[in-house]
Amino acid sequence: MAYLLRRLLHGALVLVGVSVLSFLFVQLAPGEFFSDMRLNPQVSPETIRHLRAQYGLDRALPIRYVRWARSVAKGDWGYSFAYGLPVSKLIWSRARNTLLLTITSALLAWLISIPLGIYAAERRDRWGDRVTVAGSSALLTVPDLLLALALLILAIRTNAFAAGGMTSPDFAELGTVAKIKDVAAHFTLPLAALVLGTLPIFFRHVRAGMIEALALPSIQSARAHGIPRSRILFRYALPAAANSLISLFGFSIATLLSASLLVEVVMSWPGLGPMLLEAILARDLYVVIGAVMLSTFFLVAGNLVADVLLYLSDPRIRRGPA
Amino acid sequence: MRRDIRLILVFLALVTGALWAQTKAAAAKEELQRTTGEVGQYGGRLVISQRAEAKTLNPVTAIDRPSREVMYRTQADLIHINRVTQRTEPALAKSWTASNDGLEYALRLRRGIRFSDGQPFNADDVVFSFQVYLDQNVHSPQRDLLIARDQKITVQKADPYTVVFKLARPDAAAERLFDSVVVLPKHLLEKAYHDGTLGQAWSLTTPPGQIAGLGPFRLKNYVPGEQITLERNPYYWKVDAKDNRLPYLNEITFLVVASEDAEAIRFQTGDTDVISRLNSENYALLAKDQQSRGYTLEDLGPGLEYNFILFNLNDDTRGRLPDIARKQAWFREVKFRQAVSAAIDRSDIVRLVYQGRGEPLWAQVTAGNKLWLNTKIPKPARSLNRARELLKSAGFTWNKDGKLGDHNGQLVEFSIVSSSSNSQRMQIANMVQQDLARLGIEVSVVPLEFRSFLERVTQTHEYEAAVMGLVNGDVDPNPEMNVWMSSGATHLWNLGEKKPATPWEEEIDKLMEQQIVTLNYPARKKLYDRVQEIVADELPIICVASPDILVGSKKNLGNFRPAILDPYTLHNVEELFWKPK
Amino acid sequence: MSRKRMVRIAVVLLSLLYGAILGAGFLAPYDPAEQDRAHPFAPPTRLHFVDAEGSLHGWPFIYGLIPSPDNFAEYQEDRSRAFPVRLFVSGDHYSLLGFSCRRHWFGIDEPGHIFLLGTDGYGRDQFSRLLWGGRISLLAGLIAAALSLSLGMAVGSVSGYFGGFVDDTLMRLVELFLAMPWLYLLFAVRAFLPLHISPTVAFFLLVVVIGTVGWARPARLIRGVVLSARERKYVLAARGFGASDFYLLRRHILPQTMGVFLTQAALLIPQYILAEVTLSFLGLGVGEPVPSWGNMLGSLQQYHILASYWWMLAPALVLVPVFWGYQVLADFLHERLEFGH
Repeated sequence: MAYLLRRLLHGALVLVGVSVLSFLFVQLAPGEFFSDMRLNPQVSPETIRHLRAQYGLDRALPIRYVRWARSVAKGDWGYSFAYGLPVSKLIWSRARNTLLLTITSALLAWLISIPLGIYAAERRDRWGDRVTVAGSSALLTVPDLLLALALLILAIRTNAFAAGGMTSPDFAELGTVAKIKDVAAHFTLPLAALVLGTLPIFFRHVRAGMIEALALPSIQSARAHGIPRSRILFRYALPAAANSLISLFGFSIATLLSASLLVEVVMSWPGLGPMLLEAILARDLYVVIGAVMLSTFFLVAGNLVADVLLYLSDPRIRRGPA
Repeated sequence: MRRDIRLILVFLALVTGALWAQTKAAAAKEELQRTTGEVGQYGGRLVISQRAEAKTLNPVTAIDRPSREVMYRTQADLIHINRVTQRTEPALAKSWTASNDGLEYALRLRRGIRFSDGQPFNADDVVFSFQVYLDQNVHSPQRDLLIARDQKITVQKADPYTVVFKLARPDAAAERLFDSVVVLPKHLLEKAYHDGTLGQAWSLTTPPGQIAGLGPFRLKNYVPGEQITLERNPYYWKVDAKDNRLPYLNEITFLVVASEDAEAIRFQTGDTDVISRLNSENYALLAKDQQSRGYTLEDLGPGLEYNFILFNLNDDTRGRLPDIARKQAWFREVKFRQAVSAAIDRSDIVRLVYQGRGEPLWAQVTAGNKLWLNTKIPKPARSLNRARELLKSAGFTWNKDGKLGDHNGQLVEFSIVSSSSNSQRMQIANMVQQDLARLGIEVSVVPLEFRSFLERVTQTHEYEAAVMGLVNGDVDPNPEMNVWMSSGATHLWNLGEKKPATPWEEEIDKLMEQQIVTLNYPARKKLYDRVQEIVADELPIICVASPDILVGSKKNLGNFRPAILDPYTLHNVEELFWKPK
Repeated sequence: MSRKRMVRIAVVLLSLLYGAILGAGFLAPYDPAEQDRAHPFAPPTRLHFVDAEGSLHGWPFIYGLIPSPDNFAEYQEDRSRAFPVRLFVSGDHYSLLGFSCRRHWFGIDEPGHIFLLGTDGYGRDQFSRLLWGGRISLLAGLIAAALSLSLGMAVGSVSGYFGGFVDDTLMRLVELFLAMPWLYLLFAVRAFLPLHISPTVAFFLLVVVIGTVGWARPARLIRGVVLSARERKYVLAARGFGASDFYLLRRHILPQTMGVFLTQAALLIPQYILAEVTLSFLGLGVGEPVPSWGNMLGSLQQYHILASYWWMLAPALVLVPVFWGYQVLADFLHERLEFGH
C-alpha cells in the first residue's frame, strides 16, 4: 500500500516535470502561433501585437507557466489559440476516437501475438518459426507510414474499404445498425495498419520471453519427465515468461494515446494525431501541452500497472533492495 | 376516427395555404437578386474536403483558411467581387453611388430580406458591423484592411436602407474593399460586443440557433475532428431565372482530411464531390480515372500565386550577423541578382515541379491576372553566358576549379532556406541549387519547418536567401501595398526600412501611393505596369513560376464555374445543383 | 537450412551490402546529385540482348529514351541507336579512401543513359542514390542505436541492481523522457544549428540527439532483466561469498541482459533508419541533394509517387535483407553468449 502511494506521488512529480519541460521546449522552438500572420499582407503588426498580449504570449515564460498551473489546479486546461475552445473539451472529443482505435488494436495484437509467439518459440529453428520470424522482420522493415499508405492504396484500388475518416457524411441520418456498419467500414483500414505495425514487436517479445522460459532448468527437467507439451507450455513456461509479458502489457497501456498518431494522420482518423500534429506545427501551446500531459498520464499509469503486477506476480521483487 | 383524420388534414391544408400566401406576400416585398446560371433542381448534399478543421464561425476572428471557407458560406458582403469576371457586383447593397471626388459612397441596401434566423436585415446591422470592425479594441483583421495606408472610414445610416461611407482620401479600389467584409446580425452579437466577449462568440460548439448570417447556408451540426454540415438558409436573398429561391442544395458537408494527398484520395474514391486544390502530380494521377470514376478535372491556368527567390537585403544584420552581412555585399549588387535570375531555368522548373501545369514568371503579376498583367515584361530564356557576363562586369572571377569568387577572393557560397512542408518550393530550391552550381556558386538548401522558416525571414533575418511564395486574395494591386511599400509589414527583402533604401524602392513607393488614389483604370494600370518593370529589372525578389489552379468536380454537378480567385470552386455555391443521372 | 548456414548467408549479405556502400563511388554510374532534367521519373532502363533485327548479342546493350511530348514522365525507347554497356568507364568525379577517382564500374557512352533502378522526379539515378544513401543511413542507424543502448544499459543495470530509491528516481526519469514532446527539441536544435553546416553533419547531430534521447525504453527493459537476474540463486550465492557489486554486475548480471540487449539492437537499428522518414517529413532529415534511404523513403509518402512509379520502392526493398541480416546475427550472438556453445 505504501508502495502504491509512493508510486502515485512519483507519478504526479513526473507530470509536473513533463509540464515544465514541455513549456521550455515549446519556448525554445522558433516561432509561435501568430507568426504566420506576419506573412499576411492584410494583417498589421499592431493587430498581431494585440493578439499576443491578449493570449499572454508577451509575458515571460515563468509567469505563463504559473498562470497555467494555477488554472490547471482549478480544472481548466487553458484555451486553444486556434479554436478559441477549452483545451479539455477539444482533446477529450478526439482522445475518445483514438482510444477506440488503439484499445481494439492492442487487444487484437495481443490475441494474435501470444499464440504465435508461443508457437514460434516452441518450434524454434523449424520452418514454422523461420517463416513467422521472417514475416515479422519483413513487417518491421516497412515504416508505419508506408504501411498505412499502402493499405490506403489497396482501399482505393479495390473500393472495398472507406479511404479515410471515421464516418460517412450522411452518418447522422443512418439507423443504429447502419451506423455501426459505417464505422466498421472506416475502422478496418486504420486498425489493420496499427495491428500490422505493432504485431512484429509484440511477437518478438513474446517469442524471446518464451524461448528464455523454455530454456530454464526447471522446464527442461519437466520436459525430461515427459510432461505433455501443452501442459509445459501453458502451465510452466507461460507463467515463467510472465515478467516480459507484463512489461509488454504496461507498454501497450502506456502507448494507448501515442501509438496511432501517424496512422491517424494518414487515414484522416479524427483522433488526437491530426490535431496534435497541427497544433505542434501551429505552436498551439496549450493544446500541445494538454495532449502531452494526457499521454504522459497514460504512460505513467501503464508503467505503474506493470510494476504493480510484477510486484504481485514475482515474489522475489517484494523483498526489496538487498 | 377516419373522419377526424380527414378533418385534420383539411384544416392543415387550409393553414398551410394561408401561411404560404403570407410568405408569398412577404416575398413580394423582398428585393431579391436574380442569378443568370442554369435553372437547377432542389435537393442533395455536396461534400467537400478541408485540409484542416475549421476553428470558428466568427467573422471577426476567423483568419485561417478552413474557418473562412466554411464561414463565408454562411455570410454575405455588401459589394461582392465576382470570382469569374474579377469585377465588383451588387450583393447586399443592390446599388451604390460614389461622389465625384471619390470620398463618399452611398450604398442602397436590399429591402425586406432576412438573416438565416428569420430576423430582418437593415442599415442598423451594417452600421453595427462596421462599428465592430473599425473598433480599435476588437482588433479585427478587417480593420487593417479598411484603414490601410492611413485611410479613415466613417459609416452613417442615411435611412433604414441607405448607408453612407466617408473616406478621408480617395481609394481606387474602394468598392473592392467591401468584398468579404460580412454584415453581422446586430440582434445576436450586440450584447457580446458590449461585454467585450465578441472574440469568443460563435465557436463551433455554439448552438446553431445562436448563429445567423445572410449567406446561402447556415450551421447544422459539427462533429469535432470530422465534419461540419451546413444546411440551406430558407431566407436567402437570391433567386434563379425562374424565381426559385436559392440555394438548390439541401446541405454542404465539409470533411476534415489531414493532407493534400488525402484530399485527392477522397475525391478519387468519390467520398467528396468537389476538390478545390489539387497539385499537378495528383492531377495527373487522378486524370487517368476521370472516365471510370465519373468526375472531371479542370486546369484553370495560372492563379495569383507567385513563387520567388528572396535575397536577404535587411540592414539590421550588420554587426549582429557578420557572416550574413558579408554576403549581403553580393546580394545588394543588382548584377548579381540579375545573373542569378538569368541562370535559373524557369521552363525546367515549370516542367519538373509543376509537370507543365504552371507558367514561368519574371515579375510578380501572373498571367491569371488579366486586368493588371504587364505583357511587355521581357521573358528571357535561361542564359548562362549572360549570367557569366553580368558577374564578370560586377567584378566576380572564377578560380581554377571553376568556383566563383568575389573581388576579395572570397568564394561565393550561400544557403537557401525554404519551408519543408511545401514540397514544390523545396523542389524549386533544389533545382536552383543545381542551376547555380553551373555558375560555380555553391548553394546549400536548408529545409526548415514552416514556423522556424517564418521566424528567420520575418523576425530574426538570419537567412541568406529563401524560396517562398505569396498568394493574392484579389487581382487588385491594393492588397499588395504592404509588400511593395518600403515601410510595409511584408516588404520581405528589407523589413522595417525607415526610408526607401534605394532609388528604385523610392520610385515604387511613389508609384504605389499614386496608384491608390488614381481613380481612372488606364492611368492606374500604367503606374502598376511600371512597378512590375522595376521588379523585373531590380529583382528585389526573383520571380520564378506560378502554378495553375487545378480543380475537379463530379460530372453531374450543375453550374460548377471554378475561378482562379479564392475560393476557386464554392464561390457560387448557392447555384450548384445535382443534375439527374 | 541449418542455423549455421543461415548465419553465414546473413554475414555474407551484410558484408556485401556494406562493401557495396563503401564502394558506392565506384559502383554507382552517376553522381547521386546530378539532375538529368530530360528524364524525370524514367523507369528502369531495360538491358537488351536481342537487337531490332533479331540478332543475339553476347553483351548487354540499351536503347536511348525519348520523352513523350504530351505526357509528363512517359517515355519510349529509341530503337535506332544502341548503346553497349561498358565496364570501367570514366565518368563523374568521386573520392574513394581519400583518392580522387573518375573510374566507374559500368556506364554508357553519351548521350545514352543507364538507370538500373529508374530515376526520381529530378531525373537523378536511383541506383546511384541508393548506394550513396546507404552510407548515411546504415551509419546513422548504428550510431543512434549504439548511443541509446549504451545509455540504456548503464541506467537500466544501475537501476535494476541497486533498486530502492535509485531505481525509483531513474525510472521516473525514464517516464519523463518517454513523455516529452521531443519534436520541439528537434525543431529547436535545427534552429540553433548554423545555416552553413553541411546537410550530412546537420543530420548526424540530430542522430546524436535522437540516439541520446532514445535510451529510456531499452533502459526499462534492461532494468527488468537485471531485477530478476539479481535474485537468481548463483548471484545470491556469489554475493554470499562477498563478491563486490561491480564484479556481480559484470560477471553474472550483465551477461543475462545480453538477450534483451541484442534483440533491442536488432530492433533499434532499423527503427532509427526509419526514424529519418519521419524526420524528413518535418524537414529534419538529411538535406537535399544528399541521398539517404530515409529521405528516399520519405518521398514515397507522396501519393502520386507510391501509386505511379513502382521503382521508387527500391529503398524499401533493400531494407528487408539488411534487417533480416541483423536479426539473424542478433539471434545467433544471443545464443552464443547465453548458452556458451
